[in-house]
Amino acid sequence: MNFSLTSHLIGAAGSNVDYGETFEGLMQSTGFLNLDWGNVVMILIACFFLFLAIKFKFEPLLLVGIAFGMLLSNIPGPISDWIYHPELWVSESVAVNGVDYAKVLNEGGLIDILYIGVKTSVYPCLIFLGVGAMTDFEPLLSNPKSLILGAAAQFGIYVAFFLAVCFGFTGPEAASIGIVGGADGPTAIWLTKALAPDLLAAIAIAAYSYMALIPVIQPPIMRLMTTKKERAIVMKPTRKVTKQEKILFPIIIIIATCLFLPSVAPLLGCLMLGNLLRECGVTARLSDTAQNALMNIVTICLSVSVGATAHYTTFLTTKTLLIVVLGLVAFAFATVGGLGIGKIMCWATKGKINPLIGSAGVSAVPMAARVSNLEGLRAKPGNYLLMHAMGPNVAGVIGSAVAAGFFMAVFAPMV
Amino acid sequence: MGDITILDALVISAIGFAIVFVVLIILMCIVMLMGLAADKGHVITDKFPKLNKLFKKKGAESSEETDAADITAEQPLAAGTCGELTLIRTEERDAAMIMAIVADATETPLNQLRFKRIERLDDVRDGAVKTAGNGAEVK
Repeated sequence: MNFSLTSHLIGAAGSNVDYGETFEGLMQSTGFLNLDWGNVVMILIACFFLFLAIKFKFEPLLLVGIAFGMLLSNIPGPISDWIYHPELWVSESVAVNGVDYAKVLNEGGLIDILYIGVKTSVYPCLIFLGVGAMTDFEPLLSNPKSLILGAAAQFGIYVAFFLAVCFGFTGPEAASIGIVGGADGPTAIWLTKALAPDLLAAIAIAAYSYMALIPVIQPPIMRLMTTKKERAIVMKPTRKVTKQEKILFPIIIIIATCLFLPSVAPLLGCLMLGNLLRECGVTARLSDTAQNALMNIVTICLSVSVGATAHYTTFLTTKTLLIVVLGLVAFAFATVGGLGIGKIMCWATKGKINPLIGSAGVSAVPMAARVSNLEGLRAKPGNYLLMHAMGPNVAGVIGSAVAAGFFMAVFAPMV
Repeated sequence: MGDITILDALVISAIGFAIVFVVLIILMCIVMLMGLAADKGHVITDKFPKLNKLFKKKGAESSEETDAADITAEQPLAAGTCGELTLIRTEERDAAMIMAIVADATETPLNQLRFKRIERLDDVRDGAVKTAGNGAEVK
């Protein structure tokens, strides 16, 4: 566009400013002249996720932030200069020399600064601190066999990992995709940022979307794999757990687990520290902060920065579509694994264990346990399985962290 | 970088799944031992009287705490309370769970519900078993 006439007219009135150049610069900086089809598609996708989160309450605490981050980073034009610079995080020089944090602090935008917390694993670990402070491990302590169900439900992780390799993903990428089956957002983010950072946005969105869809995904599989008689099994109340057991649990678990898999220490360490703050009885203020203020602050930073990594240049690919499909496969097989072992335990105990609690082994707390409870109630009114299902549910959190630790130990040296 | 064959993927999957099971089974054994120690703690204290004395001291302290709690309980009820809830053969944990389920099922906030009595029904009444397991009557 030519502003020379405007500049000439205003200049004639005695101004020293080159208005032509100023207007041209302003025009060039607007998003309209830099609009690409990818921007439009991503803005529409971001608005769709916002709609799902707000209207249907699909994991709103995270999806709103993720979708808004996605919206911000895909607005065309030099807005990206102020928000996010993908080249600071994913480029050939970064692959060789690692991230230059001095450059990030000097040249980075708002999201770049927030993204440091993702890249350094600080956010997922702090989220686990809050989760630990919010989790009551009593159902697990009163019925330790729940841990077997929590392990069985990690089946989906390995099925998805295997299929991802078959579809041509590299080992580290396949591991990051497989961990979606753990139904644990922070764990998925923790592993993906280390093994396949370019897939972070797609994997985080798949993980949180499917977690929100658990009440849709799981019930048909539960009904398919169990008989009505099995679903109607009423489980006996479990034993009461002492305060000492609750205090000792996080201390002993972190020692035992980290001796086997040191790579899992950051995640499980924070989970168990949060739980110790809750149970020890002398750190009520810290526990309260971990559960509320800290958790909320980290959730905002994590969700917005992860969403912002979904730039159309990296997000609108066939890989993303495959991740979405494999994520669904992972969730389905995780449910199958939990139910399968649940049925075996039901048979072994001569009908004392309701196999429905097995599907709660996917670690989406407490959504998966609520789904088991609802299916139990549908089969037999008054058959409340919530407390029994919470055991495998929290065991699933430990199980998915162990699975992620295993992948980290195997694939981190290859990246 | 990091490319693996399908056979590698199969082997890694099998090993990974086995490791998750092994670690969680070990944790299960630890938790079971903790539970056993908690349940059979009195057997140990009977065998070692010195330990028993230690526990007695703690017991005395805890009885003082109980007394303090009783004093607190005698204080007048706070403003806005729904009054007292009577639990009959029902543990506090189960009662809390039942109240949460009722609030969820009726979609009513807990502070708008009033529970007067929660009684466990596991007796045979009129020749028929009313409820079993964790069944409860809520009033």
